[in-house]
Amino acid sequence: MKHIVKRRGHTETYDQKKVYASVFAACQSVREPAGSSELIAEKVVSEVNKWIEKKHEVTANDIRRQASKHLTVYHPDAGHMLAHHRVVW
Amino acid sequence: MVYRTKHIKPARPDFDVIIIGSGSGGGVAAHRLNHKGKRVAIVEEENIGGECPNYGCVPTKALLQTAEVVNTIKKANNFGVKVSGVNLNFSNIKAWKDQAVKNTGTFEGKKSYEDDGIRVLTGHAHFISPWTVSVGGKRFTAHKFLIATGTHDFVPPIPGLEESGFIGYREALDLTKMPKKIFIIGGGAIGVEFAHIFSTFGVEVHIAEFAERLLAREDKEVGELVAALYEQRGVKVHTSSKVVKVAKKGSQCVVSFEKEGKAHSVTVDKIMLAAGKVPNTNLGLENAGVEYTKRGIKVDKEMKTTNAHIYAAGDVTGKYMFTHTAGYESRLAAENMFGSLKHHADYRAVPRCVFIEPEIATVGATEDELRAKKVKYQVGAVPINIASRSNTSQEDVGFVKILANKKGVILGASIVAPRAGEMIHELTLAIQWKLKASKIQYAIHAFPTWSQAIRMAANKIRVR
Repeated sequence: MKHIVKRRGHTETYDQKKVYASVFAACQSVREPAGSSELIAEKVVSEVNKWIEKKHEVTANDIRRQASKHLTVYHPDAGHMLAHHRVVW
Repeated sequence: MVYRTKHIKPARPDFDVIIIGSGSGGGVAAHRLNHKGKRVAIVEEENIGGECPNYGCVPTKALLQTAEVVNTIKKANNFGVKVSGVNLNFSNIKAWKDQAVKNTGTFEGKKSYEDDGIRVLTGHAHFISPWTVSVGGKRFTAHKFLIATGTHDFVPPIPGLEESGFIGYREALDLTKMPKKIFIIGGGAIGVEFAHIFSTFGVEVHIAEFAERLLAREDKEVGELVAALYEQRGVKVHTSSKVVKVAKKGSQCVVSFEKEGKAHSVTVDKIMLAAGKVPNTNLGLENAGVEYTKRGIKVDKEMKTTNAHIYAAGDVTGKYMFTHTAGYESRLAAENMFGSLKHHADYRAVPRCVFIEPEIATVGATEDELRAKKVKYQVGAVPINIASRSNTSQEDVGFVKILANKKGVILGASIVAPRAGEMIHELTLAIQWKLKASKIQYAIHAFPTWSQAIRMAANKIRVR
């Protein structure tokens, strides 16, 4: 089971739905159509899942960095939003 | 609202030092720090010993030794020995290579460390904070860290490459059936050594290099001589070539490349990648405040990263990707971590070897580097057949070339000769201690040795 170390030090189980939701929200915040946002979110989630596969414990910041790195490939503006605006995250 | 996590140095950490990576860059420091009485843990996610003994120098040199034996047998008639043909059994060759790896001692795995009292943690290390790493779901703290995670193969973005399939040097070492034709992408040391191995084993080899010559980081004469020798042996050398596309064709692959504006294509059985290496920086370095680029972790002269209690050594720093430099940097890091006297890294005299036939060994500056720095230099060069050993060994291809400044102080050298890897250390010592060529001129060199050519090349340097 993958664990995410949160900012205050406690851990949570990795939930890919949360990553999906935040990527989707970032896409929506830059007015990307809903269908396209879903497709992008699916791709980003699969990249993050691949990255986390061999790891037992990572920080929430790691997940955000990875998600925004991959999101930037598909949508640079949304990637920027995800990387720099905590309200999306 | 912005939350900030305070990362506090642990008062009672699990270890004094946690070393990530058990290769040359990590192993040397682990033993050194352990002897100093520090509580050390070493993290490894693959085989203990890292790249060099398991997948790098040791197995390739074992295969190169087999190639040398094959070539010696082929030349036996010249020395009055009658031999009837060579039979290659690739399963047996692989068994010999595996035995050579076992003999290194790293095959003992954890035991060599645990016998010394060093804790071995198995798994992927990931920084959770500047003082904590998570390994296999457990967190460990330490006052100092050394990152020595090495590199992995660079896969160039060539259309169709991933779909068509390729092998890296790790897979190439374990082949028990040779392909009829292979295309090697990359003409650096790894590509050149494997081109030698495959061609000796009867494979038709194509080797492509983006630069204008093989071994592009070395002096022009070195790469050009190797290319000429390879062409003579039937290896197809494609320099100034860019692979643009790979396509699957049945069980084979069609490699398309551009050379001097013209399109070419070759159909081969296998493609081998030797296009460079990428540092392993996927460790949560951002959580530890350690800066890195695509070329590696940034370190200062003391091997310290941008976070003062975290050091890095070896290939992951992206400087010189050799076992001997990794060991040197590891030693420096171990000394600088707790010592009051700080040692600085000095890369003036790093020997670089390519173990083909004849061997290639270089040290110090190349002509290109000296020209870029606008250093005035003189060259002393002799062909290797000037040494009497050339006559008795029937080896006459190669040279010794020494670069020195106007005063005669040696700055760099290149040797292409049998046993060049052994010969280079005389010149390494000279560069390390800023010796003039006259010191070599006056030293007696035994007759008949290859090293006499070094003295003769030094003779050509004017000393002021």
